[in-house]
Amino acid sequence: MSAEFNPVTATDTVTVPDTGLDEDDTPRRYYDLDETGFREVPKRWRKFYRHWQGPGDELAPNEVICPVCKVVIRSRRELRPGDRVYCMPCMSRLVVVRHPDGHLEAEVVY
Amino acid sequence: MGGADDEAWEPHLLEEDDFLREVQSFSFWFEAVEGYLEDRPMGFDPDLTDTHFEPAEREQLITLLANYCVGETAALEASSGLVRLAANNRSQIFMATQAADEARHVEVFRRRLAALGVSDVDEVIATRANPALIEFRRHLLAFVDEGQWDLAVFAQNVLLETMEDTVFRFHQSTADPVTAQILEGVVADERRHLGFGENDLGRRLARDPARRHDLAQVRMDLDPLVLNSFEATYRDLGLRRDEFPDLGRSYLEAVERLGLDT
Amino acid sequence: MSARDPGTERGSEIQGVLMADFLSQYSIQRWLEMCPQGYLDGTVYGHDPDETEPEELLEIGSLREASIAVTVQLIAGERCALAASSGLINHAPDDMSKTFLATQTLDEARHVEIFTQRLIDLGVKREDVNSTVADLANPNLVRFAEVLLEKVSSGDFVAGVVGQNIILEGMAFSVFEMLQAASAGNNPKFAQTLAGTIADERRHVGFGENSIGGLIRQHPEKRAEVEKMQAEMAYYMLATFTEMFSDAGTRMEEAKQLAMAKGENPMEGVSWHGADLATVTPSEMEAVLADTVLGEFKTRLGRIGIDYQTPKVPA
Repeated sequence: MSAEFNPVTATDTVTVPDTGLDEDDTPRRYYDLDETGFREVPKRWRKFYRHWQGPGDELAPNEVICPVCKVVIRSRRELRPGDRVYCMPCMSRLVVVRHPDGHLEAEVVY
Repeated sequence: MGGADDEAWEPHLLEEDDFLREVQSFSFWFEAVEGYLEDRPMGFDPDLTDTHFEPAEREQLITLLANYCVGETAALEASSGLVRLAANNRSQIFMATQAADEARHVEVFRRRLAALGVSDVDEVIATRANPALIEFRRHLLAFVDEGQWDLAVFAQNVLLETMEDTVFRFHQSTADPVTAQILEGVVADERRHLGFGENDLGRRLARDPARRHDLAQVRMDLDPLVLNSFEATYRDLGLRRDEFPDLGRSYLEAVERLGLDT
Repeated sequence: MSARDPGTERGSEIQGVLMADFLSQYSIQRWLEMCPQGYLDGTVYGHDPDETEPEELLEIGSLREASIAVTVQLIAGERCALAASSGLINHAPDDMSKTFLATQTLDEARHVEIFTQRLIDLGVKREDVNSTVADLANPNLVRFAEVLLEKVSSGDFVAGVVGQNIILEGMAFSVFEMLQAASAGNNPKFAQTLAGTIADERRHVGFGENSIGGLIRQHPEKRAEVEKMQAEMAYYMLATFTEMFSDAGTRMEEAKQLAMAKGENPMEGVSWHGADLATVTPSEMEAVLADTVLGEFKTRLGRIGIDYQTPKVPA
């Protein structure tokens, strides 16, 4: 039985993936977030998430899709490679990376 | 965890430990489910008018719901057994919330069966249950009984939950309004379960890569059982094989992220 | 059942319907309405967000130590209940019992969480919680839990429910009531936390009695084993009380004397089961608690057809 291992208190030895850090010196844009109708997390966190409407649902520069549960994660600031974001609906820790085609996506960091 | 009222503050600024403490707590769970269940006793708006079903449609829905009950009961039995196997208190509390979620799913699906005029719900479940799903349940509960936390979490929270998530979403898009609302709430719960499973296993495998071999073996044994049973669900939904939505895509993506795809 | 006895048959049918209706009260839906949307609405870790532990409790070393020791026993008991209630789900004979036990599992998880948070509120570092529980959990309480968990592990549903929902929960119910009475005047935060757990325990003991009576009648051969388990658990419970009152009790007495020397007595006029909490000694309080819990065991067990066994008195 593997019950002796404690994944929460154990030190995270995972190397954060190569995020393809951009050398972007321009100031970040900041956003006011409104409620989106997403109700799957406690009230104070709801504006940071929204339901993805499927292909054709264009993401804003402060948004990225959680690859685990397909919810759109939102930030108050424009996201850039290397930023950490959390998906509260599915409890994942993610890092923002730049896809070869130029768009931003999130990768799970275990 | 101050700062939530600060305009510049956001959850992404939490330290990981604080994040896990927040999302794996009882308080998080009940504020979350309250959000989408508060006005939906038994999973749907009580003012919603139920559909008139043709006999064949009704039979089809009964078979689907009976099989959903089998899957959810297996998950209830497994998640409750996993509470004792959890390595730490936070995982224990999370598993307790999952057990309650699964019990709710069993409850709402059984109530829906009764509302469709099924007088003996147990009998209908027993006679219409897909044998592959029953076999899957046997494997899953064996992992729990043997104290194999990671194998059970993989089978339940990654394999079963990911496929259920795909099927329920698809069924939700075609279902009558009452069933669709019930499925919407179930899908919202599944999001937590599949996320917990993948992240928990991901951390374990990062520390013990050799364990991948055992999980890959479990995958080989159980994949066909779950795939077969959910393909049967699509047939019950009246789809031809070439119309089946890609059942395995989300699952295969999760498996790939965990490094179990080879 | 004889077909020539329509009266009995009808009675049984009515009884069957009523039992099904009764058990349907133990639904997740009902639980959601009663608990998170009911008496826990607006609370954080079981109490109003503005409530804190009293300053003097955090400042007076002996009182703080005693509170930590008591809270550790609550955590140990609730961890046992969490393991037991979750373990019993698989062995429950029907879906409604499984559903109820799922809500109980969640209640117990909440109790573990709120008492753990109290430990932190009392100044125990988060990373020290488990070592503190390991150091201070009373060995007799641990043995009490082991007796119960052995039954759960072996899949014995009848013994498991009696052990958990009547013995463990019955003990917890009285201990929480006593602590709530003792805290009402000087620690509203802890008193409110306990009030929520008492509301939960009420459901748990009710389920224990209501669900198990029929099973005991169906399985009379289980009685002797269940009675033996009850005597054993009661023995370890009494031994726990003895040690807790001779240890934490003495320190609480010191703290009370300290408060009285400052002209304060938060227990003034407070009584619990006939004991005046302003004047009662730890050993008198131990006796009142033991009598109350054992009396409850006797009554509840009698209702489900189990003969109460007087436990050996701990040395």
